[in-house]
Amino acid sequence: MSANESKTTASAQFLSNIIGQSVVVKVHNGMLYKGVLESIDGFMNIALNKATEHYESDENGLLHRYDGDVFVRGTQVLYISEA
Amino acid sequence: MSIETPLDLLKLNLDEKVFVKLRGAREMTGTLQAFDTHCNIVLSNATETIYELLEGELKSNTKSSDMVFVRGDSVTLITTPSED
Repeated sequence: MSANESKTTASAQFLSNIIGQSVVVKVHNGMLYKGVLESIDGFMNIALNKATEHYESDENGLLHRYDGDVFVRGTQVLYISEA
Repeated sequence: MSIETPLDLLKLNLDEKVFVKLRGAREMTGTLQAFDTHCNIVLSNATETIYELLEGELKSNTKSSDMVFVRGDSVTLITTPSED
């Protein structure tokens, strides 16, 4: 088995497994986005549905609720985790 | 396995009004004319909103332009504008 054939890393598997789940995404400026993960790519570009915006933690109150899909640029992402 | 990538989903916003959050407490709204994989975007009828804290008060300034090219590295988020 060659290195890049039929061998998915645990991290890549995690990312494909959480599609459709409720997730939190933190970006570099400290904003936290909570929503349903629509899709994600290898650059960590993220599309969220029914996203809400919080600062650092969702215990700090709701800053904004986005009705449409939210696209988050991959380079700005600190982490993504299941909510 | 052909799952639509986040950038594929952005195509749905072409020719529509978008709300873009940028680095440094800036926001931009306008009609999305074009974008690429770097998130370089071209907006028409764009309005830039710049927020700053002056003596503990949040102030905002706006600037408008007919057509603007936004370099991708300052983009953090793209979505449809909310009605408020």
